[in-house]
Amino acid sequence: MSALLEVRDIVTAYGKIEALKGVSLEVQQGSITCLLGPNGAGKTTLMMTTAGILKPKAGSIRFSGDEIAGAAPHAIVTKGVALVPENRLVFPNMTVVENLHAGAYRRNDQPEIAADVDRMLTRFPVLKQRAAQGAGTLSGGEQQMLSVARALMSRPKLLLMDEPSLGLAPLIVEEIFRIIAELRKDGTTIFLVEQNAHMALTVAHHFYLIEQGKVTFSGTPGSLAEDEVIKRAYLGSAKT
Amino acid sequence: MFVDLIQNTLDGLTSGAAYALLAVGFTLIFGVLRRVNLSYGPAIMFGCYAATWFHVHFQGGLLLLAVITIAGTVLAGAYVERLCFAPHRDGSAIAAMVASFALWMQLEELAILAMPKHLYAFPALYEGRPLALGPFSLRVEALLMLLVTVATCVALHRLLYRSRFGLAVRAVIEQPVAAQLAGIDLPGIFVRIFAVASLVGAIAGYLIVSSSEQVTPMLGMWSTLKGMLAMMLGGLGSLPGAVLGGLALGLIEAHSQWFFGPQVRDLTAYLLLFILLALRPSGLWTTTRSAS
Repeated sequence: MSALLEVRDIVTAYGKIEALKGVSLEVQQGSITCLLGPNGAGKTTLMMTTAGILKPKAGSIRFSGDEIAGAAPHAIVTKGVALVPENRLVFPNMTVVENLHAGAYRRNDQPEIAADVDRMLTRFPVLKQRAAQGAGTLSGGEQQMLSVARALMSRPKLLLMDEPSLGLAPLIVEEIFRIIAELRKDGTTIFLVEQNAHMALTVAHHFYLIEQGKVTFSGTPGSLAEDEVIKRAYLGSAKT
Repeated sequence: MFVDLIQNTLDGLTSGAAYALLAVGFTLIFGVLRRVNLSYGPAIMFGCYAATWFHVHFQGGLLLLAVITIAGTVLAGAYVERLCFAPHRDGSAIAAMVASFALWMQLEELAILAMPKHLYAFPALYEGRPLALGPFSLRVEALLMLLVTVATCVALHRLLYRSRFGLAVRAVIEQPVAAQLAGIDLPGIFVRIFAVASLVGAIAGYLIVSSSEQVTPMLGMWSTLKGMLAMMLGGLGSLPGAVLGGLALGLIEAHSQWFFGPQVRDLTAYLLLFILLALRPSGLWTTTRSAS
């Protein structure tokens, strides 16, 4: 396996406050890599920086060998990186199908886009029933499915997912993780941010712990006792 | 009395149609960029002055003057976008608004320098007699105004709901971050929506000056004011609301002028806006918008 995404010494700041203080990590081609850490550790900031929404102050992000740090979000999507954002962020007054079409905005192979819309509606049957409905009328779980499907419409090589299980019922969470495993099998590399460390460790090949803007641990799911991971993922390691 | 009420309603609808177009242009910029463009009206004034200047020197036909009005407005709009909105894309909304105020003064001064008289005649859209419908009279240019407004709204609706560009615009209005994540190029959409808003504003401006048969430098302030007022009546950032707000403003003005006289007309509109904002701050037309 080779690294599809290489993050080196990334520093991202909100004004003077550095949310990421030199983060380095790698996502191997074909893997599910997971980023765990407590609230405010910088997980979402890293996702938004990788997707180009936030501009890093320093450091490098390479995707398939190309530098993408600081590039425009639409250029990063074109290269094959898609982010399923925290809180789903569907377009509430647009229909489910329109949301999917928006996800394919950078593509111009019309017949293939239509075929992909059909594929998404088959893969996510809940969306098929609501295809013509406004996305704002969907339940949280359905919106999460839509957000994933919308990201897949760009045919990404790397799928970034920011807290896909946030606020969802346990059954839906299980379904989301089943989908994540399926996507990986189909050849999509996945970089996942999760609060639900237990679920994340069941699917991940590799994980990183991030605390206060720095990576503090990197390993495979067996390499650190799960309760220790969970403790640090939720609370951070005690530093006084 | 009853006849007057109906006549006022007809008059109100026609001026309301122009307000609706002004509000739609204003709302496109506000909804997509989340910025207030005070130079929106002055850009329209600039376009109308360009057409008037051409008419004074070379005598142009109505169609040619319409084209010059549109070209002048879109040009001034592009200038405003480059100077006020492109540099403040991620920055302060207030800075962009203040910058647009500065360009308002600039465009107004430019118009006054080029054409120093306060008032210039503009060729009429239609010079014949008004149509008589029983006891009512309907000016033909007012009818044209209504028709062009409806046609513009239909075309805009098609653009927004039937095209790839429209899909992107709606996505940006609803959820700008997700729109970027979907691969929509935000600055590109901003530039193009500015052009569309300028086009709509220019059509409104042309209809207004050719039916009132005159232009003054006040047209700039007047257009910004009416557009903003109608937008606020309808609900910030909602296009159907802008149309509704424009028509409502026209009707309110026509009826209050008849009841209370022309001095009280504008006052009534502001008073109603005040009451509306106090009772229903989201405007007449409320849209659901997810928290961003």
